[in-house]
Parts: sequence; C-alpha cells; structure tokens
Amino acid sequence: MAKTTLLKRPALRPAEKLAQAWKDIYKVRWPYLFISPFYILFLIFGAYPILFSLYLSFTEWKGLGPIKFVGFRNFELLFKDKIFWQSMANGVILFFMYVPLMTFLALVLAVILNSKRIRGFRFFRTILFIPYIMNIVAAGFTFRLLLNQKYGLVNTLLGIFNVSPVPWLESAWGGRVSLCLLVIWAWLGYNMVIMLAGLQTIPSELTEAALIDGASPMQAFFYVTIPLMRPVILFSVVLSTMGSFNLFSEIYNLTGGGPINATLTPVIVIFNQAFGNFRLGYASAMAYLFFIILFVLTLLQFRYFGQQVD
Amino acid sequence: MFRLKTLLFLLVVTSILLTACGGAAATPPAATEAPAQPEQLSGKVTLWMWKAAHDTLINSGVLDEFKKLHPNVEVEVVEYAPTDVYQKLPLALQAGTGAPDISLVENSHLAQIVSLGGLTDMTEWVTPYLDKMNAYKWADAELDGRYYAMPWDSGPVVFYYRRDVFDAAGLPSDPESVSEAVATWDDYFNVCQTIMEQTGSACFSNNKANNYGRLYEMMLWQQGLGYYNAEGQVTVDSPENIATLEMMSKFWDANLTSDQLEWTDGWYAELAAETDAKPIATLIEAAWMGAFLKGWIAPGTEGKWGVALMPTIEEGQVRAANDGGSAFVIPDQSQNKEAAWALTEFLFGNVENQVAMFKSSDFFPSLEAAYADPVFTETDPFFADQPVREMYVDVVKEVPIAYVYGPHYPEMNGFVATAIQKVATGEMSAADALKEAADSIRAQTGMP
Amino acid sequence: MPIRRLSLFLTDILMYGLVIAASAFMILPFIWMVSTSLKPADEIFAIPPIIISPNSTLNAYKYLQEQYNILGIVKNTFVIAFSATILRLFFCALGGYGFAKFRFPGQGALFAFLLGTMVIPGAVTLVPVYIIMRDLKWIDTFWPLIIPGAANAFGIFFMRQYIMSVSNELIDAARIDGAGEFTIFWRIILPIIAPGLTSLGLIFFMGSWNDFIGPLIYLKSPEHFTLPLIIRSLVGPVGRTVYDVQMAASVISLLPLLIIFLIFQRRFVEGITAGAIKG
Repeated sequence: MAKTTLLKRPALRPAEKLAQAWKDIYKVRWPYLFISPFYILFLIFGAYPILFSLYLSFTEWKGLGPIKFVGFRNFELLFKDKIFWQSMANGVILFFMYVPLMTFLALVLAVILNSKRIRGFRFFRTILFIPYIMNIVAAGFTFRLLLNQKYGLVNTLLGIFNVSPVPWLESAWGGRVSLCLLVIWAWLGYNMVIMLAGLQTIPSELTEAALIDGASPMQAFFYVTIPLMRPVILFSVVLSTMGSFNLFSEIYNLTGGGPINATLTPVIVIFNQAFGNFRLGYASAMAYLFFIILFVLTLLQFRYFGQQVD
Repeated sequence: MFRLKTLLFLLVVTSILLTACGGAAATPPAATEAPAQPEQLSGKVTLWMWKAAHDTLINSGVLDEFKKLHPNVEVEVVEYAPTDVYQKLPLALQAGTGAPDISLVENSHLAQIVSLGGLTDMTEWVTPYLDKMNAYKWADAELDGRYYAMPWDSGPVVFYYRRDVFDAAGLPSDPESVSEAVATWDDYFNVCQTIMEQTGSACFSNNKANNYGRLYEMMLWQQGLGYYNAEGQVTVDSPENIATLEMMSKFWDANLTSDQLEWTDGWYAELAAETDAKPIATLIEAAWMGAFLKGWIAPGTEGKWGVALMPTIEEGQVRAANDGGSAFVIPDQSQNKEAAWALTEFLFGNVENQVAMFKSSDFFPSLEAAYADPVFTETDPFFADQPVREMYVDVVKEVPIAYVYGPHYPEMNGFVATAIQKVATGEMSAADALKEAADSIRAQTGMP
Repeated sequence: MPIRRLSLFLTDILMYGLVIAASAFMILPFIWMVSTSLKPADEIFAIPPIIISPNSTLNAYKYLQEQYNILGIVKNTFVIAFSATILRLFFCALGGYGFAKFRFPGQGALFAFLLGTMVIPGAVTLVPVYIIMRDLKWIDTFWPLIIPGAANAFGIFFMRQYIMSVSNELIDAARIDGAGEFTIFWRIILPIIAPGLTSLGLIFFMGSWNDFIGPLIYLKSPEHFTLPLIIRSLVGPVGRTVYDVQMAASVISLLPLLIIFLIFQRRFVEGITAGAIKG
C-alpha cells in the first residue's frame, strides 16, 4: 500500500516531503507504538546504563562525593589483577567441568525417556525437571547441609562404604565439584526437556530402521541420534557457556567464591568490588572487559553453531 | 464495551502496582524539632544491630531505663547480621535514604564506612569522651581530625582453655601456670604437642581452605604489627608478618589443629564436647567470647574453662591484642539525631549502663571509668571461679597500637585470607603467598 | 537371536538404572529439606541420620511466622512476581504483535537489535542501574524489581513466533468492521494467544519468584524481603545457623511453585522449549 502511493506521488518541495514522510510514518504509527515500550525501557535501563558504565570505567567513585576521572588506570590495574583473571579462568574450568557432562547426561536421559522402552515417561520427566523450579538460595543451603564435611548426609552415606569424609566445601577442587553438582542438579532437567523436544522432531523411523538393520542401541545413539540433534545440542551448549561465566546466586549461596578463590566467577568479583569495596569505577571497568570477552566468545560459538547447522 | 474492559484491566494493574510499591516506600521517621532538653526529646529512633547486641540491651535493662528517662522516644531495633550491615548501611548512606538513625558497626569495618562519607560529624558530642575511652578505639572513628563514631566495647584478647583437657594431658591447669606454659608461641607449640599425644584433642581450631585470617590478625596485633605501618606503607610481606604466618603453619604441619571453621556447628560441637570426646583444648579470642561460650556455645561445660594470657611471638612482648569491638554511628540522613545521640551517650558514656551491659553479656566497655566497678573483681563459676574480668582489664590497658583495621580493611583481609589459605593447603610458601597478597594490595589500594 | 535379546535386556536394565539414579539424585535434596524442616534442632546432625523423626514438629514454621512474619514475606514475593508477570505479558504480547502482524520501515533492524540485547550480561548494567534506582528514590521499594524488566526481549521474540501463526483473516475482518488497532489486539489477539501467554507467564512468574540478586541489591527492610532473601538472611556469622528454620522457609518458597508447576506442567515445558526448537 505505502509503496504504491509513494510511486504515484509527483515531485514535492522539501517541506512537503517532510510532511509526507511524517504522514507515512503516522500511517504505520501503531506497530511503532506497540513495540515502543521495549525500546523506551531499554533506553533508560539498558542503553543509558551501558554508556554510563563506560564513563564510570574511566573514573574512581565510591558512589558518594565527586567522580574522579583517572583515564585508563582502571584497565591497567585490571590487566594485573590476579583475582579477576583467576575468576575468568574459573569460568573456563567450571565450563569444562560441568557443561559437557551435563549436556551428555541430558541427551542420554532424553533419549532413554523418548525410547518408549521405559514406563512412567511423565513421572520421570517431572521428577528430573522439578529442581529447575526451586530457587537457588534454598538449593544452595540444602546442598551446604548435605555436603557438610563432618555432619553432612552425603559423607555419612559414603562412610557406610568406608569412604573417608570428602572435603566437599573445604578444598579448592571439592568446592568446584560441589558447585558443579549444584548446577547440574538445578539445570539438568531444563536441558533434558529441551533435548526431549528436539528428539520429538526427529522421525522415530530413523532410529528404528537403524536398529532393524542390526545396529546396537549404542550405535544408533551415536551414529543416528547425535548427528540429527546437533543444532539443539549446540543451542544448549551456548546457553550453558554464558551460564558458566555468569554464575552468581549458586556461588553466593554455596561457596561464597571460596575455598581459596576456586569458585570465584567474574560476576561475583564485580559484585564484591561494587557492593563490598564500593569501587564503582573499577567494578564498571571489570564489567566492561568481561562483557567484551564474553561477547567475542559467544560470537565465536554462534559462528561455529551456524556452520554446524548448515 | 472494549473501553470499559481496557479501563478495568488498567485499573487492576495500577492498583496492584500501587499496593505493591506504595506499601514498600520507606517512610523515614517523621522529622521532629528536637530541643536539647532531655525530657522533651521525642520521636522514633531506629537502630541496626546484631542479635547478641540487641539481647544485651534488653537483658541488661538499659533500654527500659532509657525509656523511663525519655518516655516520648520510641526505640526500634532491627536485627541484622554484621555482614548484612556492611552491605546495607553503605548502600543506604549512598542512597541518602533507608539508613537507620543509629547503626552498630564493628571496628574492623568502621574506617571503611567513615571514609565513604554520609555519617554525622560527632566531634562536638564525643570530645568529652576522647580521653575516657581506650585510646586505640578512636583511630577508626576519626577522619581528618573529625570523629564519626562513639565506641561501645573493646576486644581484649585472652587465652581460653579447657582445664579438664589440661588435667587429662597431665599439664598444670591453673591460670598462672598455664599463662607461664604458653608464654610464647614456641611454648604453646610444645603444650599442644603434649595435649595431642596425651588426649588426642586438637589444640585449637584453624580452618585451612576457608580460613579468614582472624587469628592471624590477633597474632599481628599482639606484636604491634598489621597490614600497614604508621607511615601508611603496606607491610603484608614484611619479614615479621611472614615469620608470623610461618609460626602458624607449624601447627598445621604438625597436625595439632582442628579444621572446623569458626562460627559453624562443627566448631560449636567441638568446643562443647565432653572431656573424653576430644574437645578443642584452647581458643585465643576476645573477652566477648566468654559470653558466647557461657550463653549458647558450650553452657554444659561450666567450670571446665580457664582464662590465661595469650602467647607472644617473641619473648618479653606484651601479652595483649584486640579483636573486634564495636561502635555506634549516626547517619547524616537521620531525622532524629538529638535523640540518637542521647541514646548513644546514655548507653556508652555512662559507667552504670556500660557495667550493666558488661554484666549481662561480657561486651567489654571501652569506657575506662567502668573498670573501677566491683563487678570487675567478681569471680565467674563458668571459669571455675576465676576472677577473669580482672585479667580483661589488665589486658585492655596493654593493647598495642596496631595497623590491622583501616579504610581498606575488607580488601586487605580478603587478599591475606587467600594467602593464608594457600599456605595452609600447601600450595605456596608463606613468603610467596604474602608477597603475592602484598603486591595485589599495593596495586589495588594505591598504598606504597 | 538370544544374544541380541540379551543385549536389549541389558540395555533396558542400564536405562532404568540410569533414570532411577538420576531421579534419586534429583529427589534427595528435597527429601532432606523437608525432613530437616520438621526435625527438632538436636536431631539435624544425628548419626545415623534420621529421615522421618518420631519427634517431628512444626516449630520451625511457627517460629518463621512469629519472628519473621513469613506470610507477609510470601505476600511480598507474590505481589512482586504477579505484578511483574502481568506487566511483562502485556508489553511482550503487544510488542510481539507489532513485529508479527505489521510491516514497517526499520522492522528488520529493530528486531535484530532486540535480539542482540539478549547477550548483554546483567553485570554490565549492575552499577549504573543501581545508581538510577537510587536517584529515583526507588531503593527499598518493589519498583526496581518490576519496571526495568517490564518489556523483555525474549518474551517479545516468543510472542512474535506465537502470533505469526495466528490467521490474518480475523484481523482483516475486524479492521473492515472499523475496529481500532488496540481493540483488535485486545479483543482478537489476546484471547487467541492465551495458551502462549500462560506458557510465557509461568516462566516470568517463576523467574521473578526465585529472583535473588535483584532483591539482594534493592530491598533493605526485613518487612519488604522476599522468600529467597529471607532464606539467605537466616545465616549469621555469629550464632547458630537455624537449619530447621532455613529449610522450613525453603519448603515454603517451593510449595506454591510446585503446585503451579504440577497443574500447568505441559504449558511450562512448552514455554521453555519454544525458544530452543522454534528459534
């Protein structure tokens, strides 16, 4: 409609042109109006803060009093800040500790539940999914209770099999493992449900045909299911990657970043600098660097993701 | 029709939002013209403090006394854990709203909060008390010659020990002999070895992987050291600091300590354990610990505890340190400062009330005139009728000036705690770990 | 083919074993949470562990009500989650409709931009948004937990996908009848997309109900606390952690969501998977 009127219109003077343009926009004002709330809110609570944060990252400020401009000092400090780089390294370590395992488990469980060889599909799906709806504070403290070195249920149960008490929350690697247990517990069901939905889009004849042709269920899984599921798997991996660097509540309520800073992640460090040490400028610089690194990482994954899907 | 429905929907949503948020809008206490006449003070005073402190105000009856004196002042106490105060109070100070009229702050975090700004300058009010309180308490309250806090209590550090465990180990268990036996950390090490060999009890609790450095700070304080010196230079990696941490690791290497983290149930259980259940044998902590042991950690061990002097690193040093202690601050945004100060002065500047609170909970007064009260010579059945409070007074007079707390304390403590954890778990040597911490502190705080 | 049947049988056993083991892992924390909340304090660390105590008591729950007015806390949590959900659904449906059923200049770029905002980590805006809230005097109110997320990129994307499948004929017919654009949205679109709204609403509600970092930063007074915050505040560095009370609060925080989830399970799962599969 709009296009045809534009074509038929004779040449106009600038003022009229402007009026005409406004008219054109006014004609389609409704969709702009409908989508505007998002952009208005983003302007106030997204764009402005991102710019303000950029400005703050070149300053020193405690949140009160004058803002002191310090140039690139925060970034210079940041490149030497062992805690920050350790937190980035922790993000990578945690990623490798739980993302492959969780993705694999989610896929295997989804395939099993989808195979119709198991009774109680709905029952098991519900059970496996329920941790996802529990708030992470409650989950964190329940895990603390379960993993207490001396009094926790887990070590008590292991004691029955003569396993000496595991220092779950009392050693660097114990802390990381505990954190991974909590994250897998909370997110496995979510990933499994996504995989299940993906599996349901794969015609079941394909795997059945493979089985009839003499493939073992394992072979069918590795050579038929996994290749077909690639896009869904990669979707869940990309989400989990962002997740592993952005972990906050899980850590804040289970390990507090310890032992020996082994579970500090960038978001925890930024939070502590901002709301514990009140170094708002430094925290902003840190957030920016973190954002850029994560952005590049996500971009790389999306490229990989895109190639694989083609 | 459509319009009506739309209108209804919008009405419902707005009314929900309004109840949601209207209820939440924090209304500061009504501003009152507060005249100086005490009997005319009125209005509401909100007070943030932790449970132990709140219990003290109630159980000692001082809050009731204040209400009798100022019937028109309503005091509302909100209980927060200290960590919550250190997060919420600065945020409220920055926000310019939401702060209480008074907040209790531990000395460890006082200088940081003072340096943020947003507190009432109390210089005019506290001047009469400057020479009446333990001198070292004012350091954290002062900024550029102005004072922003009024001290409540001090934390003279002593050596708590289990008489029953010392007896079982065949060691003398009276306070004088124990003080002598643990005169230095080297002596203490030998005592710990004897206890471990004879009874299997761990000497003290010093967690490795989650250590937060409190005991190490007491060891530094005892030597008049700290994280920096009088010139403001970072001393975290000084030879003395390194030697102190090496001394601490000797106990880990010899397996003489328990790994229970302080202030967790495992620790409480080992402090409260029966003689034959391998209780923790000793505990270096401030005077306020006595009340916790008596009150809720180990009430069943009455008569089994004794108090001696803490060990020193070098022979002949003073056997005193400070741990914790707290003060009141009045946020500048308070609408009822006069009443807030009246309460503060009534509680902490008044000998009678300081003594009443001390009796109730062993919050050791910073107000020195209080020490003349006969309560300080009383014996305590929990400590087998030892007159422990005399010892607290002796210790508090000896506490050296040290540079542990300060405006960067939370950061410094964090870096040093990590260093201690690395040493404890055998990841690094004391020298390397403290060097790393010192470098980070220098870079991050800009201190030389 | 006996070997083949045996191998299938073994695979079955393996499959059941795995599913049951995983389910046990998922259920254990819930059992321990409920069990601890009902135990008297001296049995919490009993060895051997007690699962169902003969001395079960509701004291922890009573204590929560008496000391912390837990029903008030539940009400706060609900009011925030409900207001945030309704507002978000409204703006997301509106935005999704705008993108799905209209053609307008800049549409592609605007939509790509919208999707792009999803990768911005919350950490970047943490400090400045806090400053904005402070200047608006919204600290210790519910507004910061409701307003900034009121139009959500994921939600608009979700609703766009959903509304695209709605037939254009209905909309055109209404236009010919002279209905206004907003009326069409309100009268025609909203009722049709009710199932999608339910799915999305459940996700929003759950996210807001369980939110921790927002309340942690913005809520100050205990009477404004939400459930996750009260669970957190029940640990103090000095003093015993009241595990039974903490676990009781955890049970209370879980129950309403659990009931909603069990009723709307299908919609819930649809909401979660829509982004992954259709996208």
